[in-house]
Amino acid sequence: MISVKNLHKSFGDNEVLRGIDYEIDKGEKIVIIGASGSGKSTFLRCLNLLETPTSGQIFIDGEEITAIGADVDRLRQKMGMVFQHFNLFNNLSIMDNITLAPVMLKLQSKEEAKENALRLLQRVGLTDKADAYPAQLSGGQKQRIAIVRSLAMNPEVMLFDEPTSALDPEMVGEVLEVMRELADSGMTMVVVTHEMGFAREVASKVVFVDEGIIKEENTPAEFFANPKNPRLQEFLSKVL
Amino acid sequence: MSELSRKFYQDFIQDDRWKFITNGLKITLIVTLLALLIGVVIGIVVGIVRCAHDQQTKQELRGVKGFILKLLNLICKVYVAVIRGTPALVQLLIMYFIIMVSARSKILVAVITFGINSGAYVAEIFRGGIMSVDKGQMEAGRSLGLNYVQTMYKIVLPQAFKATLPALVNEFIALLKETSICGYIGLNELTRGGDIIRGTTFDAFLPLFGVAIIYLVLVLIISWLTSLLERRLRKSDIR
Repeated sequence: MISVKNLHKSFGDNEVLRGIDYEIDKGEKIVIIGASGSGKSTFLRCLNLLETPTSGQIFIDGEEITAIGADVDRLRQKMGMVFQHFNLFNNLSIMDNITLAPVMLKLQSKEEAKENALRLLQRVGLTDKADAYPAQLSGGQKQRIAIVRSLAMNPEVMLFDEPTSALDPEMVGEVLEVMRELADSGMTMVVVTHEMGFAREVASKVVFVDEGIIKEENTPAEFFANPKNPRLQEFLSKVL
Repeated sequence: MSELSRKFYQDFIQDDRWKFITNGLKITLIVTLLALLIGVVIGIVVGIVRCAHDQQTKQELRGVKGFILKLLNLICKVYVAVIRGTPALVQLLIMYFIIMVSARSKILVAVITFGINSGAYVAEIFRGGIMSVDKGQMEAGRSLGLNYVQTMYKIVLPQAFKATLPALVNEFIALLKETSICGYIGLNELTRGGDIIRGTTFDAFLPLFGVAIIYLVLVLIISWLTSLLERRLRKSDIR
């Protein structure tokens, strides 16, 4: 479904990604872990071109998103993205946050989008916040809304960029719960996180990124029980 | 007291001299409002071009699109530098005596000069406002499949506008008062109207203080309207 070939990304002289090849199939839940500065977030942000790769190719359903003249805006509609800092639209109510993109891109009528939004809000237990503004919500609530906002576009894959890292500890659970349900519903997910428990339970594969390349990839059971790469062993000994 | 009322009669009532003030006020308001309109339009365009350029990485600026953006950015930069670097009065005189020498309407000359002039300041105000909006807002919009213009229009600009409102009103007020230099090209706006009365009656006190009070009242009205608008815009800040 997503196919990455020899992906490189530099910021000035700083080479953050140094050749990543990876294939993600439909329905997979990929959890990416790694130390800060390892390039894991940059990798995720390259997938929907929030960062422009320096070189390499990315294909979504066989279409090359990195090609010159590719319709990036249309391809992005297939990929929901959840950010560390939620990035809800501060000037819009929760309902408008959710319905803006589907209505503006003429994918749904206003009424359809509203119905859809209410159904999604019910799923995350926030129906009563429809008319609130982002500033009135807690971090956990904001992140659940951010997930709903992405889901409203009916994406084929959801990208999560450290979705719980900016949350107070007691709010991490509610967001992970929503993500777990989403995984159970069969959504294809790529998650950058430090939540090892989530990786262990939900991931179909865990990927360790270090120094801009994938150093290890395995099923969660093997990944945590028998890490082979010495950098990974060191990393896991620190975080577990 | 009778001396003052005699002067008041002489300055404003006799020969319908109050018309210098009211006609002048009308011209001042027309020039200010039209110039502000032009200034805001220029300002939004120039501000967005400058931001769009600065927010791209070097890699993204390659290619034809990147070249056009770089060129536009350069033009905008020169425009802002020239306009901010020269006095408005000099610009007005150049416009009147050189560039628009065949123009019949002095009001038109003033409107265009002040429109172009305030455009440069408004552009910088908007640029600051757009830059002050968290980058994540644009990223979130783009990640949903909205394009740059859609995200700018629906998400970034409304937030930037709120942040820039005080500075924008400042520019509005400055513009209103700066139109008083239009007397230099013989346009009878408010200040010149008062000055004409002074020249006719040889009484400086009442006409000039009268003009000053009118400016002051106008500015107070603008400030009051702004505070009403700000209260409405603050809706989304409620916690």
